[in-house]
Amino acid sequence: MNVSVAPDIDLALDHPIALETHHHSEKKGIMHYLWSYDHKMIGLQYLWTAFLFFLLGGALAMAVRYQLGFPNHPVPLIGRFLPSTLASDDGTIIPGGYNMLVTMHATIMVFFVVMPLLIGAFGNYLIPLKIGAGDMAFPLLNEVSYWLYVISGFFILAAFFAPGGAPGTGWTAYAPLSAVAIYNQTQVGQSLWGIAIFINGLASIAGATNYITTIITMRAPGMTMFRLPLTVWSLLITSILLIFAVPVLSAAAAMLFFDLNFGTSFFKPAGGGQPLLWQHLFWFFGHPEVYIMILPAMGLVSEIMPVFARKPVFGYKAMVYAMASIGLLGFIVWGHHMFVSGMNLTLSATFAVSTMVIAVPSGIKTFNWLGTVWKGSIEYTVPMCFTLAFVSMFVIGGLSGIFMASTPVDLFVHHTYFIVAHFHYVLFGGSLFAIFSGIYFWFPKMFSRMMNPTLGMIHFIATFLFFNLTFFPMHNLGLGGMMRRIADPTVYEHLRQLQPLNVICTIGAFGLGLSTLVFFVNLFYSIFKGPQAPDNPWLATTLEWTISSPPGHGNFPITPIVYNGPYEYSVPGMDKDYLPQNEKAPTNIQLEIH
Amino acid sequence: MSSSALTTPFDQVHSTESSHHGAPPHVCKFGMIIFLLSEAMLFAGLIGGYIVLRLASAQWPPSPDLPALPKVLTGCNTLVLIASSLAFHMVEVSVKSGKTGRRWLLLTILLGSTFLCGQAYEWTHLYREGLWFHVGGVYGSSFFVMTGFHGAHVLIGVLLILWCFLRQCFFKSFTQHHHVALDNVGLYWHFVDVVWVFLYMILYIV
Repeated sequence: MNVSVAPDIDLALDHPIALETHHHSEKKGIMHYLWSYDHKMIGLQYLWTAFLFFLLGGALAMAVRYQLGFPNHPVPLIGRFLPSTLASDDGTIIPGGYNMLVTMHATIMVFFVVMPLLIGAFGNYLIPLKIGAGDMAFPLLNEVSYWLYVISGFFILAAFFAPGGAPGTGWTAYAPLSAVAIYNQTQVGQSLWGIAIFINGLASIAGATNYITTIITMRAPGMTMFRLPLTVWSLLITSILLIFAVPVLSAAAAMLFFDLNFGTSFFKPAGGGQPLLWQHLFWFFGHPEVYIMILPAMGLVSEIMPVFARKPVFGYKAMVYAMASIGLLGFIVWGHHMFVSGMNLTLSATFAVSTMVIAVPSGIKTFNWLGTVWKGSIEYTVPMCFTLAFVSMFVIGGLSGIFMASTPVDLFVHHTYFIVAHFHYVLFGGSLFAIFSGIYFWFPKMFSRMMNPTLGMIHFIATFLFFNLTFFPMHNLGLGGMMRRIADPTVYEHLRQLQPLNVICTIGAFGLGLSTLVFFVNLFYSIFKGPQAPDNPWLATTLEWTISSPPGHGNFPITPIVYNGPYEYSVPGMDKDYLPQNEKAPTNIQLEIH
Repeated sequence: MSSSALTTPFDQVHSTESSHHGAPPHVCKFGMIIFLLSEAMLFAGLIGGYIVLRLASAQWPPSPDLPALPKVLTGCNTLVLIASSLAFHMVEVSVKSGKTGRRWLLLTILLGSTFLCGQAYEWTHLYREGLWFHVGGVYGSSFFVMTGFHGAHVLIGVLLILWCFLRQCFFKSFTQHHHVALDNVGLYWHFVDVVWVFLYMILYIV
């Protein structure tokens, strides 16, 4: 069965293999954009749809920050247009409406922005290109997965227009608040949330099935597992996490739906159900989900960093093993979200220890990134700046994570803004910085034009400053005792003296919103007016840079043969400082064995 | 680890088989197995939740006036479902030996439908006895949601096999050498049967 292709077989030159993957024809006209089987178009569909949700999720975040910075002041400009479930007649956000804003901001950012961008957009676009395949294993399933995501998006948006308004139970939707209609006041809204999560899960599972199958079965000759670019490795591991974690959330969302609409009592104590069961099911999904959102980001930066340091990634295999162990450990730590749920102390200590163990592979990755830039010839391009910022922000978010892994500390900071600071450092400072980095890096491949570096640098500096201005003070707010999910901090006496910090966070958030607009201006300007990009503008080694920009239908005119690992930069003795994966090293050059 | 130990399966994908429409058979099967792993996790979530709820309950059924689940009748129904798995196995055996396998397909559909009818009878029976989604607390909730989820899977399975049967009758789609869709429907069908054996044990017997 397993036909091994020895890396140094000379079949490339003598017998070019015609690509056999043109089993679906290219679509013309509007269908090219709506119902394409081409993985690149599907990747772009994910990209644009997720950007729309990103604008909505960002607007919700700013509404949240406005209320916290200036409680009970009418929201300027848009306040009067907000529905009555969110704001009063003069445009002031009401407490119930505040909860809805928080819930929808988080749900949209997690399920409709970060996951679709990292996995849907980059995953679809890059996997076949990087492994030397013509397309995904199942192109139809791929497109179905995108449309399932769109349908789930309609359901989550419909929740805003439900009779009781959107759900206000937080993205974690803890029972019994979420499971009993008279508690959450919006049976329809919460049900739509459940349906959206369920369908979104189907999209994730369809995508993950496709990715795993493609990576395992469709690699070009010579592309061994340990020659895979780290982006591909990260997406493979992420897909495995999706396969095992997402269905559990789907089961929980279904139970929640039945509790709300069919009178079942899974999470209702009155019928013998258990609210804690929801927490266990949710976090069994929820913690792997954390790694689902950071592993692909780690993959992207591991890919971009060696290009701009002109050095091989430090400890390639260690990077792979670290990601695999993070993925594995991610399944046995969910209890650290539940330290205050009355958990048995021995169990709580077990979860604390297993959580802290994750710091080891995370540390390996961090030090390997440092090792990669160490003594490199660093080019401070926009993607490299975002990549370096990713590492430093991830370290801050990761370290605060170790704080709360410790049960006694967590008892103190649980449900405070310390947690909010922590997960924004890993989700925004981590995942989203990597996404920006990836967009700037692969934009020339996607649209065959360069993005404007000046606007890009303004975007980077503004984002970096305003990000820290927004989220760093939240550590102090949390340690000062500010609880999450309160609509008006000023009603609590102990929080009044902290209000200036809240104002600072709010100013930062609006700065962050403006800097994101700079990004979108740059994006649209560059698509139409940017200078033409060469096929390999960054002089990178992986396979997508060996073909035209954007790659044609079917990707590779001739199936590439892979001879080298993905990060052969500055190989001693070579004329040029990089060696593409499909180029044989000159005979006098001895590469390290990969 | 030397890189040559890790093979690339490229040649299998790009062999002559791929000129046939769609991904080659072993790729399809691989994808199906990954999908079934996620299905297994869905049922693991439901079963896990059931175990938690049941262990927390002082007695089971939670109240003595709730009806017991019909062990014997459903036991017979379980045998019907297992028989349908065997029948589908015979479909694959006969197609691989060059026959159409239509009779075995029809038998699988009949057995699968019999199971669904048995489950429908059981639901109505329990409803008359006073057990429903919202009656009987977690006892009713878990029973109807879990058997409902499984029943929906069986229904989809029967429809898929019906599709195979019709394709075989009108187009002779599956031959000795091209039967990947049949194999994948088979994987799904056997999976659904195995899940039922677990559900029967945990819901009815234990």
